Amino acid sequence: MSQKISRRDFLKLATAGAATTAVLTGCGPASRYVTREPYTKMPEYTYNGLSTYYATTCRECAAGCGLIVRTMQGRAIKVEGNPANPINLGKTCARGQATLHGLYNPDRVEFPVKQARSAALATTAMNWDEAFQVVSDALSKTNASEIAFLLGTASDHLFDLVTDLAKAIGAPAPIRYGALSMFESRATLSKAAENLLGEAGLPFFDMAGADLVVSFGSNFLETWLSPVAYTRGFAKMRRGNTQKRGYLIQFESQMSQTAAKADEWIPLLPGTEGLVALALGRLVAEAKGGTTPRAFASVNVEDVSAKSGVSLEQLEHIAGLIAQAQAPLAIPGGQALGQSNGLSTAEAVLAFNALVDNYGKPGGVFISPLSPNEDAYHRPANAKEMADFIATMKSGGVKTLFIHGVNPLFELPKSLGFIEALASVPTVISFATFPDETAIASDYIFPDHQGLEAWGYQRSATGAMQSVLSGAQPVVSPMYDTRSTVDVLIEATRLAGGKFAEALPFTDEVAFIRNKIANLIGRTDGSFVAPEINTFASYFQQHGGWWSAAGVSAPSSSASALGKAITVEEAEFSGDGEFFFIPFVSPTLGEAGANKPWLQELPDPMTTVMWNSWVAINPETAHHLGIENDDVVKIISEAGEVEVAVYEYPAIHPEVVAMPFGQGHTAYGRFATARLPQDRFMDLVPHGGLVGDATKRGANPVDVLGARFNKAGDLAFAGMKVKIEKTGRKQYLSRLESRIGVYGEGFPEEK
Amino acid sequence: MTVDLNLVGAKGAIAEAAAGKWGMTIDQDICTGCQACVAACAMENNIAFVGEEDAGYGRTQHWIRIERFWDGEYPHVQATPFQPMLCQQCGHAPCEPVCPVFATPHSPAEDLNLQVYNRCVGTRYCANNCPYQVRSFNWRDYHTVPELGNMVNGALIFPLHNQLNPDVTVRRRGVMEKCTFCIQRIHKAQDKAKSEGREVEDGEFTTACAQACPASAITFGRVDHPESLVSQLAHQERGVKHLEELNTLPRVTYLKEG
Repeated sequence: MSQKISRRDFLKLATAGAATTAVLTGCGPASRYVTREPYTKMPEYTYNGLSTYYATTCRECAAGCGLIVRTMQGRAIKVEGNPANPINLGKTCARGQATLHGLYNPDRVEFPVKQARSAALATTAMNWDEAFQVVSDALSKTNASEIAFLLGTASDHLFDLVTDLAKAIGAPAPIRYGALSMFESRATLSKAAENLLGEAGLPFFDMAGADLVVSFGSNFLETWLSPVAYTRGFAKMRRGNTQKRGYLIQFESQMSQTAAKADEWIPLLPGTEGLVALALGRLVAEAKGGTTPRAFASVNVEDVSAKSGVSLEQLEHIAGLIAQAQAPLAIPGGQALGQSNGLSTAEAVLAFNALVDNYGKPGGVFISPLSPNEDAYHRPANAKEMADFIATMKSGGVKTLFIHGVNPLFELPKSLGFIEALASVPTVISFATFPDETAIASDYIFPDHQGLEAWGYQRSATGAMQSVLSGAQPVVSPMYDTRSTVDVLIEATRLAGGKFAEALPFTDEVAFIRNKIANLIGRTDGSFVAPEINTFASYFQQHGGWWSAAGVSAPSSSASALGKAITVEEAEFSGDGEFFFIPFVSPTLGEAGANKPWLQELPDPMTTVMWNSWVAINPETAHHLGIENDDVVKIISEAGEVEVAVYEYPAIHPEVVAMPFGQGHTAYGRFATARLPQDRFMDLVPHGGLVGDATKRGANPVDVLGARFNKAGDLAFAGMKVKIEKTGRKQYLSRLESRIGVYGEGFPEEK
Repeated sequence: MTVDLNLVGAKGAIAEAAAGKWGMTIDQDICTGCQACVAACAMENNIAFVGEEDAGYGRTQHWIRIERFWDGEYPHVQATPFQPMLCQQCGHAPCEPVCPVFATPHSPAEDLNLQVYNRCVGTRYCANNCPYQVRSFNWRDYHTVPELGNMVNGALIFPLHNQLNPDVTVRRRGVMEKCTFCIQRIHKAQDKAKSEGREVEDGEFTTACAQACPASAITFGRVDHPESLVSQLAHQERGVKHLEELNTLPRVTYLKEG
């Protein structure tokens, strides 16, 4: 290990004030090892009442937004956006704000433990030397082909390290997965881009330059791909042009938060979004005159209207709006892609963009640029690949499984059988920061730092017109006896020696990161220029990353996209229930926000429900079923069942029920599972009483999802039909909105 | 001699207060209801979370909340534009005269409604009298509920307390609280400007909600400076003030859709 630099030296070197322009350069390796000191030994840079600011990167999702964290006396006080980072330009979402409640969460894995798959988090600490030996043995004594790495979508530097390690020792490449990437259907998007635009990668929709946006189920204002960037794009579209207000049209079976911002929300039957895109394409092409391109030639507009439930007049009205618009743009996403026909839906929407000729133009479709240190676009695994991986696990093909940054026990549909497959893996090592379901079910937990305590970098997958590499540095010293997973792997390979040690020839994590950003030294087309690594790394820390001046590429000509005949096959649904079941990611909780109390207390933007799950049912449908608000119902699919309270949601198709993903944890700390102590007063009030399982907060919609995939291998998560049964119980949902004013309850009857 | 009746007595005081100092505009056309402002406000101002049960009783401590109402029936149903609602810092505030202990005075220096926590005795008259329903009461000591802490060597440790902002008081049980327009940020910016011998510039600092807003729907600044961004926005045709007919002189201007 290299020299140990105290925290105060480290802070002097690494301070990055929001407005600081002076830069420390060429100052040798910045400190890697931060020691925590008591307040009685206050670092001398600390002036009473003055804060120190550090630039880093948010890890609440994979978007890679830059943060500037205000710290005071060694504590992180407030998260602010990094105004220089092109992804978020100084803004943050609610999940980014609440990342402090992850850092200071009372339920963290505080030291390495031999968990031994017991029901609760083990309480006896291992020491780290033993832990290094366990990892070292797991790597060197397992047949390389039987080692598997399962990683989350953040952070990218760990992914790079594990990729290098796996390659060097002959192990399979790491698999990345996450609930968000599942609900975003990333594989579908990149496959559609490959088929139509001629380039695999995430398409980037430049909403800011458009004047009319047609969204097919895309929830871009909530959690989709890069929500802060898309929200900015939306705001610019709406109000950026003082001459013309931007117009948003959303086709979606339930009014999502994004649809609520639409000027026109058009409900339709799930699975018909692609057909509507084709029909609109045909109508627009006809309005423009000339021959209808092959892509849209075969569609029958009346037929589409009948199947989707969107009237012919509505289709014609919207086609008319599109034909008049100067820069129309269509976006696929959300539930439209989570169907068995999701891939053709995405293709139909991209072809539609070709028709309105916006490829590579302001307000049009681009291919998201690769990040500065990225060789090719690596998308996260799709659900089909996860199913294959689970099959390998079941057949005994995996002897050692390393898991970091992902919680498959909670996130994957039970029907894929991850939990059973885990039993066939002799050694499971988790690097979880929090005691989530998967960590609890592991043999060992060697906790990684929380994102604000950690080094790293994150590549932006999409969201900016530039090529962005967001850098992360510790803003506080680690709260607990945790170790960076990169350092653990480097140390373990050193212990194993031979090819293992050669695979990772780095002294520590910082040396590794420097190695990975070294290719940017001397580049003059970016946010800063530095001649050598010490200067470059200092700037990299201060600026919170490096980004190029330009980056996006225009897709190849639109003619090829239009020349291919597109047929959107009928969506297939599993089960014989009478309702379409649409799960969606909770806009406030995201995939892993349930353990952060302030995220739990944020009202859902549409239902205003806090601290719990609900199922949204059309009031008319609810009336027919004889159920009302707060009734607990059982949702039954062929894959499973779940119990959840009803919210009578006026803006949802009568044949559709929708449920948020994010709650229903059986582990993951006190805020995600058990009710808070105040909640025991529920017992005292006549209307309520603790209903259901008091150790579980809310319900998890993936419990009713089956293993059906679309043609790109993504999960057809919106492809289930379910039955609804009454349970006769009530669970009063806590809402911000009072019941007064909702459906007129509480108001006297109008005469 | 002619007397302008609009400048006599209470009316005169109102006319004088009409100008205001700090103000805000909220563009409802681009607000996406994402709750980033709510989370940012909570983190900046040490706002306690109250848990599911108390939240159900409407005891949440949100200083800013986002309202949405349903309008119409399926399929012609609409969610009304998201409406962030926070203390309007009224120039003529209904909450102020009802406080028996002067815990809700008006700041002559900043022209804001203050809440003096150590004077407040918890009568809740102010909340009762606030037409915007933006005051929240601390029904418990939410920050120190024992179950939020961990037992470490026989002592109860609250890791979440590390995040508390030292510039803002932590409120205890029995005290009313509300949005302050991030007065700690106002003071910080003023102190800085004063030490540099200049005026606070427009956009030099902003409130936590405006800073976080991904859509940049919230703008904060001096409404008495005609050239400031917030003044320019507030005078757009789209601008409306809520419950203006109550003569509260709200300092927050909402920009309508359309």
